[in-house]
Amino acid sequence: MMVIKNNRMRCFLRLVIIPLIIIMVFLTGKNTFGQHYYLLISFVAAFFSLLFFICGFEQKKTGTRRMVIIAVMTSLCIVGRFIPLFKPITAITVITAVYLGAESGFLVGSLSALLSNFYFGQGPWTPFQMLAFGIIGLIAGIFSKQLKNKYLLLIYGVAAGIAYSLIMDIWTVLWYNRGFDLILYKAAVLTAVPHIISYSLSNFLFLWFVAKPFGDKLERVKIKYGV
Amino acid sequence: MTSFQSFNPVVTAIYFLFVTAIAMFSSNPIFVIISLIGAVIAYQLQVSEKKKRTQLYFWVLFIILSLINPLVSHNGITVLFVMNDNPVTLEALIYGISASAAIIAVLYWFGIFSEIMTSDRLLYVLGGLSPKLSLIISMALRYVPLFSKQAEKINHSQKALGLYKEDNIIDALKGKIRVFSVMVTWTLENGIITADSMSARGYGIGKRTCYSDYKFRKCDFILLIFCCLMFAVSLWTIISGDTEFVFYPYIKSQISIKACAGYISYAVLVMLPIIIEAEEKLKWKYLISKI
Repeated sequence: MMVIKNNRMRCFLRLVIIPLIIIMVFLTGKNTFGQHYYLLISFVAAFFSLLFFICGFEQKKTGTRRMVIIAVMTSLCIVGRFIPLFKPITAITVITAVYLGAESGFLVGSLSALLSNFYFGQGPWTPFQMLAFGIIGLIAGIFSKQLKNKYLLLIYGVAAGIAYSLIMDIWTVLWYNRGFDLILYKAAVLTAVPHIISYSLSNFLFLWFVAKPFGDKLERVKIKYGV
Repeated sequence: MTSFQSFNPVVTAIYFLFVTAIAMFSSNPIFVIISLIGAVIAYQLQVSEKKKRTQLYFWVLFIILSLINPLVSHNGITVLFVMNDNPVTLEALIYGISASAAIIAVLYWFGIFSEIMTSDRLLYVLGGLSPKLSLIISMALRYVPLFSKQAEKINHSQKALGLYKEDNIIDALKGKIRVFSVMVTWTLENGIITADSMSARGYGIGKRTCYSDYKFRKCDFILLIFCCLMFAVSLWTIISGDTEFVFYPYIKSQISIKACAGYISYAVLVMLPIIIEAEEKLKWKYLISKI
């Protein structure tokens, strides 16, 4: 592929081109795309915030051990998504974020959304799923001290399940109607109620049963090997 | 492997980006119909027999989604009938059909996309963007089959130790949880060993190069230029407003030479996989040795 060999050139391109594209879309989008403005903006924003994060991760020095642990947790999420009805993907993301930091949480969440969609079907929803799971991990990582408390962790898990569903519904309405519509949004949320319950319940159950032993294991590896 | 799949992954990724972008962001039903027809034909050619059954769900979704809009939106002047004191209009119905056709067209395109852009191709595309991330992805994908293998092994050893009971559901579940717990510990340790072995072999010291099977050939270049050209023409007609299609309060659109150029160039873009496939089939048929 067209790998840009010069390192300084790479940095420059990353810093300049991406904000430029976002600003250009914001300025020209409204006039040229009219009612699709919001859908387009949502795509551009999701895509480039993911890109920004990835570029930041690329530049940072990350230990090899941490990278491998991220890969392991991601694949656990992918395998977990095969469990019918109860999906541990949020729970594992949150646990990783709490014990390994916000950046690892974001990566595990977004990568497991991307990779598990190879088994469950890619679609235009992939960047939004990646972003949603990533942000769930990111926030959990930021509040990692508070989330070591079991009850706060459970509350966070349930809230994350509800929030994930509500955010994805906003995007569903945007896609169908090309603009936001409250009646359609209510209808979408109403049809998604079983999913909301399923997400929240599985987050609750997995965090209830898995958080402690899983966290202990991660903590042990962290102390023993100094990740 | 079909001949469309043999093109460079970067080119195919850009092709799918172009095709789905116009299907998603243009509200013009003519673009949507072109996209849908092209997607349905290409889907039959590219996708394996097993996955073709999902098509049925697409069409069920199509029917449901196209009926939602006329029930919710009451814009438009041509009233078909009145339901619960709310008028159901022709314009809203047509808008609903167009919007849901756009959605299933995109679903079809992504069905083809998933078939063609397998994970190794995605790794190749990502490798140029972020070598570190593509390493994590390749490791994560490797661990998925490794897990099931290891779980099997742990299962056997638990049985041999006499710890595994399947008398009732709770015992069976407890056993499964134990296997899972052992497996997680094993994978974390194994991951650390992998990481150590990587650093022992000098990972992270120099620049990372990656081997890939995909070359950027002349025909990839030609296809890329051609796609960009067709996309540019159709995008230009959308931006200039020649292919504008107004649904409310009544359906209104104009047809000009410029608009036709936009439609035709998008149709050519959409038909590209079909054309490439047909060309290959014809070549195979007529290139019989003449000796």
